[in-house]
Amino acid sequence: MIPIPKKGTPEREELIRLHRECVDSMKGVAGFSVLKCETPGDTTVVTGGVHEYPTLRRVLMRMRGESPAGKLITICTKVDKEWRIGRLSGIRGVPPEFVNDKVYTDEQEIQHDIFLMRLDELPETAGMPENFEEGWKHRDDNWPVT
Amino acid sequence: MCAMRLTGYADKFGVHPGEKIKFYVNCDGPSEFKAEVVQMIHGDTNPRGPGYIERPMDTAANGVYKGRKQIIHSGSYGFVEDAPQFHVDSFTLQCWIWPTTPKTHPRYWKHGAQGLVTKWMDGKGYGLFINEEGCVELRINEHKISTGVPIRDHAWHFIAASFDAETGEVVLYHEPQIVYALDPVIEPVKTTVDTTIAHTAAPTALGAYVEKIDGNDALAQSSLPAGVWFAGKYNGKIDSPRICNKALNRFEIEQMKGGAQPGLTERRNSGPTGALSEVIVAAWDFWDGIDTIAAKDNGPYGFDAQLVNCPTRALTGYNWSGQNFDWKFATKEYGAIHFHDDDVDNARWQVDVEWDVPAEGIKSRFYALKLTTEDGDEDYIPFWVVPEIGKEQSKIAVMVPTISYMAYANEHVACNAGGAELFVYRVPIMQQQNMFLAEHREYGGSIYDTHTDGSGICLSSRLRPILSIRPKYDHFLAQAPWQYPADLHLIYWLETMGYEYDVITDEDVTYEGLARLENYNVIITGSHPEHNSGTQLDALHNYTQRGGRLMYMGADAWYWVHSYHPAYESEGRGVLTEMRRCESGIRTWRAEPGEYYHQGTGELGGMWRFRGRSLYSVAGVGMTNEGFDVSTYYSRTPDSLDPRVAWAFEGIDYDEPIGNFGLVGGGCAGLELDIVDVTLGSPPHTLAVATSAGRHTEAYLLVMEDFGFNQQGLDGTTHPRVRGDIAFHETPNGGGCFAFSSIAFCGSLPWNEGKNNVSTLVGNVLDRFMQDGPLPAAPAEAIKHRGRADYDTPEPATQA
Repeated sequence: MIPIPKKGTPEREELIRLHRECVDSMKGVAGFSVLKCETPGDTTVVTGGVHEYPTLRRVLMRMRGESPAGKLITICTKVDKEWRIGRLSGIRGVPPEFVNDKVYTDEQEIQHDIFLMRLDELPETAGMPENFEEGWKHRDDNWPVT
Repeated sequence: MCAMRLTGYADKFGVHPGEKIKFYVNCDGPSEFKAEVVQMIHGDTNPRGPGYIERPMDTAANGVYKGRKQIIHSGSYGFVEDAPQFHVDSFTLQCWIWPTTPKTHPRYWKHGAQGLVTKWMDGKGYGLFINEEGCVELRINEHKISTGVPIRDHAWHFIAASFDAETGEVVLYHEPQIVYALDPVIEPVKTTVDTTIAHTAAPTALGAYVEKIDGNDALAQSSLPAGVWFAGKYNGKIDSPRICNKALNRFEIEQMKGGAQPGLTERRNSGPTGALSEVIVAAWDFWDGIDTIAAKDNGPYGFDAQLVNCPTRALTGYNWSGQNFDWKFATKEYGAIHFHDDDVDNARWQVDVEWDVPAEGIKSRFYALKLTTEDGDEDYIPFWVVPEIGKEQSKIAVMVPTISYMAYANEHVACNAGGAELFVYRVPIMQQQNMFLAEHREYGGSIYDTHTDGSGICLSSRLRPILSIRPKYDHFLAQAPWQYPADLHLIYWLETMGYEYDVITDEDVTYEGLARLENYNVIITGSHPEHNSGTQLDALHNYTQRGGRLMYMGADAWYWVHSYHPAYESEGRGVLTEMRRCESGIRTWRAEPGEYYHQGTGELGGMWRFRGRSLYSVAGVGMTNEGFDVSTYYSRTPDSLDPRVAWAFEGIDYDEPIGNFGLVGGGCAGLELDIVDVTLGSPPHTLAVATSAGRHTEAYLLVMEDFGFNQQGLDGTTHPRVRGDIAFHETPNGGGCFAFSSIAFCGSLPWNEGKNNVSTLVGNVLDRFMQDGPLPAAPAEAIKHRGRADYDTPEPATQA
């Protein structure tokens, strides 16, 4: 597994820069990927991002495969106008809760802030033996499908 | 923000002119709401498209109505009305159980004790429970006797309890079917209780207990029986519950496992022995009548329990041997019913608004009852006006994929599955509907979800508010409209281009067959008609064979086996649909071994492909891949120059990108995609006229039914089958099929108000397909022998 790059390392800063440029290029697309639109808002030609930077790709996959408990998620608070960051409870019947008061007016912008928060929250050794716990034996470890 | 105070549903999806449609509304807070019938034109609020469009209708139903709160009493259970025979002095209760959530998190939405076999309410009566600590518990009046042993989840246990009124002796048994090396021995709990059982009018309940009875409580009217509040909804299987009116010894309890066993000439009683036959109050055999919603009591009183909210049946019992996989041939090994606390078959609300659809002058279209309040609350209840057969209004019919809408009804994947981020390939966005459903599990889930106990949902009812069939709703999978609002992209285009069209539903085609289709020149599908009944596929096949034309506007269709549960026919057509996720296909959950056959019809579930009915055979293409991040576009192939199909591309240059724009993923080729494969059922003469090969992202992956070995190279950047193909083929008698092979496709139609090359292509096809009479014949040289895998079959030798 690829370790989550530590705070302050050039590797981490590079991931953040690459992610940022993808997010900026995807504004206006009715969808999203960590890829760079050659023409902003137009998916005719997409390059870079997860297709060209293996560390970025693997770090994102690690983040995406985290358990639903406490997972960050986007919540639309006004249709096509406002969005906020929430956190899944991981408990059936307990809805997500907002993590802060920040209101976003672009649905893609929030992708980048969640990426930054996850970089801070995931330990470098996430998913490795140092973090073994009982849940690994009953499928609460990772890679949820439903 | 998640408080949706207005929700509702209608008694039917499709209504004929001259018929009545009823609407049920929950208005939780505001004293009144406004209702207006509107015609639905466009449901997508994306600022890069035409925006939300509805058309007001002047109808007698429009008006202001008094609001009232209505709730759903979800969670399945069985009940038998109170009867003197249940008013026992002594008793023995017994059953097998396979609990799925014996101990829940304190914040779990229905945390607390769960009822198994109960005749207990408010400290009066008796019953077997699993208590809040996850241990088996017997209740006699206010007395609670527990084993103190946490019961293992997802495992079979035999449990029983006896009470002798004369001595006060109580014995409680908990006997796991499987005992592991380090499991402690569980001894029977023996004690005495000095009490006389107090009896109430509470029904006997299976998988729940009665909390209270209040006939005056308006909110209890949507329970069944009305006025009775059930609580302690159990999650898990129960098999072979019995009630006897005597404290049996352990040997007699063992004999009672076999049940009443009535019916043989020489056994002039109803019990495993003569003595036991005299003490049976009820002995339910869940294996008997699996395709019904009654739990059969084969005991002497015939206390059949009515099953509420359709628990799952046709599931393996404690005695399943692994020899028979179809319940119809081993019914006694299928004596388990799986109850879930979030099952719902019918919201059972009171009617608030009715509309008598005019017999004349009403167009067959997409409509909705728009609900609003002065405080800004809003909801829409979609429905369709469908002409009666013989009274068609147009040459074109849009077949609304209502079975697929039901399959996706109220899905919780964004919540349950951690956003399913590995397949959507981004952080998903939850809409207010998702937030509401995350809290209100009683609205039930979709067939994509797992129940609150983690088991798969294989049944979906339309008699409940379905918040995913709504305009202004972007789905987390697409970050754009999906299903109903995505199909409105097509409707906007038909309206904008000025076509006259009718609408019919999957339900209509399922029940009425070819007759529902044959008076139309062309049938247009929705963007994602994935879930289908067998009779619907029969009808489509018969239609295209007889010269009908089919425009398949999306992808991943004709995929899953569905059947409407026959036990709900009395509530209307197509009330509850069933589907099992069997051995292959894209599955968000997987059916357990031995549980592949539908409980309603007994047919094998799973993919039509694995019942020998290729998805490729319906419209010429089949789904090979899916990805949910962004879409791309199509390019023409040399096949598009073939005179058989060149007419479709008039006005489109050969090198022109087709659909590199759109309201779903930014392109017309995306989400899920179909290709031509003559080895899997595409007719050998199918033309693949455009393809998106080589342009998809790594989020797009080959479907698992197309490979047998996990290996690298399955994504859109590498695998040749990860693409979409637009395809055309002729059918006999001047019919034809055009497949656009992408769920995102319709999202490009509204772009630039319909002035774009996707619109041109679809317009060319529709203009040709809607004409009266057979399509022009293919050129004579097109009629030739063709192979399948051996595609270059040599011409046969001619006679000398």
